Amino acid sequence: MLKMHNIRKSYRTDTIETHALRDFSLEVNEGEFVSVTGPSGSGKTTFLNIAGLLETPTGGEYLLDGQEVGNLSDRERSRMRNEKIGFIFQGFNLIPDLNLFDNIDVPLRYRGFNGKERRRRIERALEQVGLSARAKHLPAQLSGGQQQRVAIARALAGEPRFLLADEPTGNLDSLMARQVMELLEFINEWGTTIVMVTHDPDLARRAQRNIQIVDGQVSDLRQSIAQQEIATA
Amino acid sequence: MIGYYISLALRSLRGTPILSALMIAAIAVGVGASMTVLTVNYMTSKNPLVDKDDQLYAVQLDGWDPNEAYNRGAKGNQMPWQLTYRDATALLRSDIPKRQVAMHKFGFTVSVDDAEVRPFVAVTRVTTRDFFALFDAPFQYGGTWEKSADESPKQVVVLSQATNEKLFGDKNSVGEVIQLNGEAFTVIGVLKEWNPSPKVYDLNNGHFQDSEELYIPFGLHRKFEIHSWGNNNGWNSDIAKGLTGYEAHLHSESVWIQYWVELENGAQKREYEEFLANHIRQQKEQGRFQRPLKFALSRPSEWLVMNEVLDHDSRVLAWCALAFLLVCVVNAIALLLAKFLRKAPEAGVRRALGASRQSIFVQHLMESSCIGVLGGIAGIGLALLGLTGVRVLAGGGFDRVAHMDWAMVFAAIGLAIVASLLAGLYPAWRISQTNPSIYLKTQ
Repeated sequence: MLKMHNIRKSYRTDTIETHALRDFSLEVNEGEFVSVTGPSGSGKTTFLNIAGLLETPTGGEYLLDGQEVGNLSDRERSRMRNEKIGFIFQGFNLIPDLNLFDNIDVPLRYRGFNGKERRRRIERALEQVGLSARAKHLPAQLSGGQQQRVAIARALAGEPRFLLADEPTGNLDSLMARQVMELLEFINEWGTTIVMVTHDPDLARRAQRNIQIVDGQVSDLRQSIAQQEIATA
Repeated sequence: MIGYYISLALRSLRGTPILSALMIAAIAVGVGASMTVLTVNYMTSKNPLVDKDDQLYAVQLDGWDPNEAYNRGAKGNQMPWQLTYRDATALLRSDIPKRQVAMHKFGFTVSVDDAEVRPFVAVTRVTTRDFFALFDAPFQYGGTWEKSADESPKQVVVLSQATNEKLFGDKNSVGEVIQLNGEAFTVIGVLKEWNPSPKVYDLNNGHFQDSEELYIPFGLHRKFEIHSWGNNNGWNSDIAKGLTGYEAHLHSESVWIQYWVELENGAQKREYEEFLANHIRQQKEQGRFQRPLKFALSRPSEWLVMNEVLDHDSRVLAWCALAFLLVCVVNAIALLLAKFLRKAPEAGVRRALGASRQSIFVQHLMESSCIGVLGGIAGIGLALLGLTGVRVLAGGGFDRVAHMDWAMVFAAIGLAIVASLLAGLYPAWRISQTNPSIYLKTQ
């Protein structure tokens, strides 16, 4: 599903060049649920942005669903992002002026579905996250957990094959975090590939596979989780 | 997607009502000010004879003072604008033009045998019969007089629609008799509403005056000793020696007759030019036309320019108005930039959800267009207010030109959309180029 080989990403200012990812290689198979952990500033979000085609790597090779994405135009990358990738963010990133229905409608509009098909998908997505009755509510009228469920519904409505979650439970209390995590696991069981960045070792452990990023590179995972468990104990 | 973008734009405008109102006001004020000036310029620079611009010619002959060229009007060709009566009657004998008109402005006191209609002074055009066909003046009833009436007195009259309405209501008045200065004239025709603006056929007496209320034959001059009610310039008082009174006036070097010809093609024009040259040569032999041989045939479009219907000040004012619009556009750019950049996080989310840079650009440009349409509508209101002000300040002199026609209404909306698109280009481009990942993490 996802194959990165020797990916590099650096940010340059007038005086400083920062290497966010260095010779980063990773392969995620179809249907996997992979968690990504690592200290702040290690390159987790950069990895996620590159994986989600929001940023382009400075070097290396990235194949998504078997297609090299390095040479795609902005329009092609946007289309691929729209059709194959779903995003879930720590801050939910719902559009505050739009009600839930219209928020979920956003990616479907760019997909070019007709009104009937969009309505069908939105209603089904809201039903999947248990918020059918709140379709006309604004995001501000919902709790944090509900907002995250809306964000998941928005990601699900396009039926993506690949879901990228950046700290999806970071802004939620433990009860709501557990609910969101169960929802993600449920989605993964339907066959959607999920890559989730998290700081929480408990959540990381619930994934099928864990990787850790340190200084922009994939580090030895088992050792790092063990260290984290010792630290938290 | 355009419908979706428009709904997003309207939602966005509702979401920031004060900022939106300021942007709409910026565009509206710029459009209102510029459309006020541009409308006046547009209306004054129209050529009502555009369809016959390559067939109609105003005739000028240089029979002026050999010691001093005729020098009235900055864009003139140093020839008198009008002809003498002698030259006009001589030119009328030519059969080269398809149609030709000698004419001037006059006035009669009009009365009818109806106690309810009080006598009134009517502005009159004394003209040859071709006037109506040459200038496309349409008849509602009847028609023009016979050719003989251009040379010998025949007391017939053509009424304007307004005069017919005033004297006879809506009815066909052909055959009715009216009194002009106490003399009986038979109505032979009634025009439909006809008011070319500018009044290109007679720019000597006000560019935007209404067309005349009555039309009478050219052959009536001697019988009623008709003088011109318009400009009348002369230079040689000796020319009519031996003659007195009205005959002296008709034989003088006073220029007071406007002359137009209709020539169908280049060959006919060349033939007529040769005719004019021959006429001047003949007059030279009689001691007239002492200046170098010179004449002019000017198309209506050229005639309007030469007579400075649209003067230099108006053009400068138009540029000033457009410069003011530019200032308003710059203000709108600043406001749009502030508004769009505040919405950058939303653009970031949309990018993540599949919007291309182009989609974000078009979406925001559409919002600019909506501002333009609303600003254009408000600008039309302001322009109408401005034109009312022009009419009041001009004391009636601009009543016929200081109003908007549909072309200018659409032009106002077009101008507003173009202005708002220009204003929106940079802000929309800026927001489409922002890196979405920055906003996704920090939102």
